[in-house]
Amino acid sequence: MLTVEDDERIRSAVKLALEDEGWTVDEAESGEAAIELFNRNAPDVVLIDIMLPGIDGFELCRTLRRTSAVPIVMVTARNDTHDIVAGLEAGADDYLTKPFAAKELSARIRALLRRIRPSTTRRSHMVFGELELSPEEGKVTRSGEEIHLTKTEFRLLCELAENAGKVFSRENLLDRVWGYDYFGDGRLVDVHIRRLRTKIEADPANPRYVVTVRGLGYRLET
Amino acid sequence: MTATVPVGPPDQGSIHHRLRLRPLGLRRRLLLILTLGSMGLSLFLAITTYGLTRSNVVTQRDESSVDATRRNAQLVTSSLRGNPPNVQDALDALRGFGVQRPLIWYRPSQDWYGGSGRFQAAVLPEELVRRVVTDAIPARMILDVAGETNLVVGWPLPDVGAYFEFFSMGDINSTLGSVRLALALASAITTGLGVMVGVFAAQRSVRPLGAAAQAAKSFASGRLDTRLEVTDDPDLSVLADSFNEMAAALQQRVERDARFASDVSHELRSPLMTLSASVEVMEARRDEMPERARAALDLLSSDVTRFKGLVEDLLEISRFDAGAVRLHLEELLVAEFVRQAVAISSVPTARMTTTQRSETLLIEGDRRRLARVIANLLDNARIHGAMADSGEVTISVQEIPESDGQVSKVQIAVEDHGGGVPADERSLIFARFARGGSAGRRSSSDGAGLGLALVDEHIRLHGGRVWVEDRLDREAGARFVIELPAEELAPEEIAHEEIAT
Repeated sequence: MLTVEDDERIRSAVKLALEDEGWTVDEAESGEAAIELFNRNAPDVVLIDIMLPGIDGFELCRTLRRTSAVPIVMVTARNDTHDIVAGLEAGADDYLTKPFAAKELSARIRALLRRIRPSTTRRSHMVFGELELSPEEGKVTRSGEEIHLTKTEFRLLCELAENAGKVFSRENLLDRVWGYDYFGDGRLVDVHIRRLRTKIEADPANPRYVVTVRGLGYRLET
Repeated sequence: MTATVPVGPPDQGSIHHRLRLRPLGLRRRLLLILTLGSMGLSLFLAITTYGLTRSNVVTQRDESSVDATRRNAQLVTSSLRGNPPNVQDALDALRGFGVQRPLIWYRPSQDWYGGSGRFQAAVLPEELVRRVVTDAIPARMILDVAGETNLVVGWPLPDVGAYFEFFSMGDINSTLGSVRLALALASAITTGLGVMVGVFAAQRSVRPLGAAAQAAKSFASGRLDTRLEVTDDPDLSVLADSFNEMAAALQQRVERDARFASDVSHELRSPLMTLSASVEVMEARRDEMPERARAALDLLSSDVTRFKGLVEDLLEISRFDAGAVRLHLEELLVAEFVRQAVAISSVPTARMTTTQRSETLLIEGDRRRLARVIANLLDNARIHGAMADSGEVTISVQEIPESDGQVSKVQIAVEDHGGGVPADERSLIFARFARGGSAGRRSSSDGAGLGLALVDEHIRLHGGRVWVEDRLDREAGARFVIELPAEELAPEEIAHEEIAT
């Protein structure tokens, strides 16, 4: 795991706590150092503090996203909708607010890294209109053209697809995709749904595949 | 710490005092001034015009009357100088010329002649007679004879006596009457126009005040970016400029205060992060610690948790103060939502009752914040219930139908078996850092006293309200009620959806 945090004391304490949870932790104190370490060590997960000197957390996130689908968790000192949505829009898969518990972070990351559960109904190939989904290969195409999704977006689409036609509440999706076993944040689902739509829908404002069901949640149209 | 806030009936005396001395409003004053002004001006003009017209007409009549009298006096003189002098001839001659009201004083016989009807010598004032007859000076005078205004002109006839003639001025009066009527009408119209101009001007001049009042109201209600439109009008721009300056200064100050609170809690989060992570590392090795270190760690750990809650609450409150709270609104099925919120609260076993209709009620809400609200209320109930060492906490969801049967509101109520809240503290407990005052019933571990204040702020932001009352079953305890706007979902909208599990 790569943690990017400019406060040295926090870095040390978080490293100690995460190592207790069994992680190998690389530390970077700036965005620039983080990019270098990322390219050298190819971590499984990146933890980014939004407030960084130099390149800020959002920018770093976007930079990493350009080349990688690695799970990214944002850490913010503010719980403002603005910061959180901006972080998710920049490509983060999840977020935590300071102070967070290493146990919780660890659980969150394991959920992000977890592979899609094997399931008896699972098919290796699914087709919805022009959309083709191959969970085994981690590939999605629309009209034969490959669409690049992050791991989380792909998981979200797969969960919806496996029970296509059924409605998923936000909590249900939070549980399945992010592993939240408590009251999660609907913003996580909403922002990811929005990003997923911009990638797979021809007209994201009038979605053909991922539709909103009033009062209940989301559904993938068959 | 016990805060006492005086609550009592408002001072009746001072209200009456203010009512009595209350001056006329600006608009009324302007209207009054313009009305009185236009009325005064038109009356002045009317009276002046009338006076001038009258004196003009009267003067004309006067001159022509004097001329006629002089001519007729010469006629009479020549008749009376004849031989023998004959007064009757003179009168006949005058009648021949159309003179209607002649009167002759014939000195040789010391007697009056002529006089028709009421126009006799008796009505002539002594003064006039003396002047004309005794002093031999021509004179004239206006008299009322039998209700008719007359001009009497007297002309001395050397040696033979004097000649008087009455001229009726009734026609002048009727002319002047028409003039009076016309002028009165004109004044009335002018005054009416003045009133209209007054109303218009008053409204025009007060309109910017209305805008200013609205701006001030909006500012007071928390929209700190309210400003008055800047105009070219030099009189109004003074008001607009000073209002805007004041607003900017206040906004700056409020924002600075809010930012300070936000910065403080923000700055506190970094050391808290280090503390929290370090405590976690230590807790993983709790079993290796000696007894006393373990006790100290437990204290440290629980207070780090408390500290986190406090910082979180402070930050949220400062966000409210800065007006920076943005709700992430979702449509929520309220009963299901409450069920989940209860499950993750500190009282997951709270008994919950819902009505059938409430299961299909939708609210627009920020899931995270509303869950917090319910958690805070349950926390509050748990603490009070625990203090009283009795009974369970219950939560109920119920629709509030309008008179037409439609549902537009939902009530979520939390009841406990604690000590209840005395009537005079009910509005105060939603204040920040308010502690269930009088008896100090709460323990010191129930947070910073921001919980209910946050509930209040959150619910108000959701367009609802929250209050506390007695339990419905009249047993000891408190009932906290949240009322939120809600909408009923048609059952068929849910029925056909297959829910993934």
